[in-house]
Amino acid sequence: MNVLLGNFNPGLMLMLVGVVVALMPIRPVRQVLTIAAPLLGMVMLANAELGVNKQTFDVLGIEMILYRMDSLSFIFALAFLIAALLNAIYALHSDDRLQDGMATTYAGAAIAATLCGDLMSLFIFWELTAVSSVFLILRAGTKAAYQAAMRYLGVQILSGVLLLDGIAYVFKKENTLELNAFSSFGDAGAGFIFVALAIKAAFPFLHNWLQDSYPKATVVGAVVLSAFTTKLAVYAFARLFPGFDMLIWIGAIMTVFPVFFAVIENDLRKVLAYSLNNQVGFMICAIGIGTPLALNGAAAHAFAHIIYKALLFMSMGAVLYRCGTAKASELGGLYKSMPWTTLFCLIGAASISAFPLFSGFVAKSMTMSAVGQEGLVVIWLMLLFASAGVLEHSGIKIPYFAFFGHDSGKRVKEAPFNMLVAMGLAAAICILIGLPMAGGYGYQWLYDKLPCTSVQPADVCFISGEAIKPYQPFTLDHILTQMQLLVLAILAFMLLKRFGLYPPERPGTILDTDWTYRKLGYGFASWANGVWKKAGPAMSGAAGSVAGLAYTRIEQAFSPRGELSRGPLTGGAAIWTAGLLGVVLLMSFLAA
Amino acid sequence: MSDTPSSDRPDTPVAPDPSVEDHPAAKALFGWVEAKSTGTILFYGVIGLAIALFAADLVVDRHDYLSFAETFGFYGFWGFGAFALAVLSGWPLGHLLRRDEDYYGEADIQPADVEHPDPAIHEREPGE
Repeated sequence: MNVLLGNFNPGLMLMLVGVVVALMPIRPVRQVLTIAAPLLGMVMLANAELGVNKQTFDVLGIEMILYRMDSLSFIFALAFLIAALLNAIYALHSDDRLQDGMATTYAGAAIAATLCGDLMSLFIFWELTAVSSVFLILRAGTKAAYQAAMRYLGVQILSGVLLLDGIAYVFKKENTLELNAFSSFGDAGAGFIFVALAIKAAFPFLHNWLQDSYPKATVVGAVVLSAFTTKLAVYAFARLFPGFDMLIWIGAIMTVFPVFFAVIENDLRKVLAYSLNNQVGFMICAIGIGTPLALNGAAAHAFAHIIYKALLFMSMGAVLYRCGTAKASELGGLYKSMPWTTLFCLIGAASISAFPLFSGFVAKSMTMSAVGQEGLVVIWLMLLFASAGVLEHSGIKIPYFAFFGHDSGKRVKEAPFNMLVAMGLAAAICILIGLPMAGGYGYQWLYDKLPCTSVQPADVCFISGEAIKPYQPFTLDHILTQMQLLVLAILAFMLLKRFGLYPPERPGTILDTDWTYRKLGYGFASWANGVWKKAGPAMSGAAGSVAGLAYTRIEQAFSPRGELSRGPLTGGAAIWTAGLLGVVLLMSFLAA
Repeated sequence: MSDTPSSDRPDTPVAPDPSVEDHPAAKALFGWVEAKSTGTILFYGVIGLAIALFAADLVVDRHDYLSFAETFGFYGFWGFGAFALAVLSGWPLGHLLRRDEDYYGEADIQPADVEHPDPAIHEREPGE
């Protein structure tokens, strides 16, 4: 039994269960399956061997390794499995088998991607995360969600195509697709793969798919989405680009710029999406530094972040579920109706703000120390600024405007019981991994599972080869300085509120860089369409007829009224297009 | 551009349920926030805590990697300044970047899986 459990990628198991769930009409069976699958996955992970290739086979001369676990993939896979379990509990009140199935498949694809051992398998699971997750946006059932889903799918598929392009170069040069770290951008395929990962990690100027789609997803969907896609990219960066200096600056910029957008954003789920960007920035910065402490910091931060960000999305999802809105200008005073949701949200807020005794404190401090150790003054100051910014938008703004502040007069029921259980479990994890406890419990439990720890076979980091030194977060000066930062920031909030200097929450759309393609790009496309329409009748002769016929055929197939847009599967055109693109690229890859 | 203060705006289309009273646990967990003196106590409590943390800075041995961070009260001043800068930037940024909710024609974002979906959004005729 142990052999079977330890030889099969748990992500594949989740994906299979996801397909069964999507087809399963009996709701209780579906509910049991979605909860049992991640639990079984944890058992399978516990039985796996470190660094051994499993499920290997040759496809067209490429060795595919579907299962290869090491200490880096272990921590991400474990966090994903916990998130999948919490998501399944959170979704129990909802009777939507397509959403349940796709959520499980999406989680499975992300887990399988972290546990595979070659680039081609990574590409396949990478694309599956994109295709399965889009349903979590589409199921919201609004025009806005449909359009955001199409933009989301387009961006995610572009990421996959670039990844495949990079893989083709790697294979041509190296004749192997093993998951090895690049040494420089001069390596074959490194540039393409870097950009592919950058899109998925929502780097600055490539980030808008995240703020565009997550707030328009379903109540459950936003929670599920928050856990996997960007953290899969973080894992891939840690695997393929550790120690790349460029990531230090990109990560630092990522931590800072969302702070300004989050301050003026009214939709609290969108505030959390900006906050997610900011948190991923810390991880990217740490990967760029690449020392054992920094890589541990990135992994610990990813683990803690997956849980507390899910908790915050869950609490805002519960508010949205009961009140019908997550807009700060329409909320307030909900602690009277939803006190348990309020409490759990406050625990999530304390965790993300890195208060001592909460998970963020033990995770983020490693990255800050690693930056300080390297003497990167400007970067360190940027991260410290971002730490105060996190407190503003996720630590104070989210709970204050939803549950306290101006009483909106809304009197609703407390969140459904299953949502409370999911939030309670997430809150418990946030506290338990933040506590200084003896005997391998508390934060030590998390530290023992990090990629570069002395628990591993050798006392050197398996990624960088450097010696590992133990890290102690609970020192008196560290607690003091962190409390100074947070308490004085809270005082600033109180003073700004007292003197009426805190900007009021107002409804509206905040322009971001997506304006360039949603307004400027769309405007150009409309203009080009107008030119085409005017030029069309003037076109005559054989060339004009052929072009006109081709246009008509393409329109018949791909327009909103076309063949590919019909039927129950919305977004079919995009999926077909993506599929065809994939086939073309695969053929060129094989021919290369 | 909408400049309507939140307090003057109508509520969402979802009608609050008048039969639902305050949750029984609300009083035990957060009843203290309703006391008139709570705001004042919290304000002066935070000031007191800030002073205590600055005082502790004088006696606690510091081991920062960057020497300037060992300056007295550095983290406190940085936290205060960074928070104030982030919040105050909201005034000019709001004027610069905020547009009408329907700017992209996608104002209705309430998902279908809320408890009481807004019929104006979710029961539209196809093509409406």
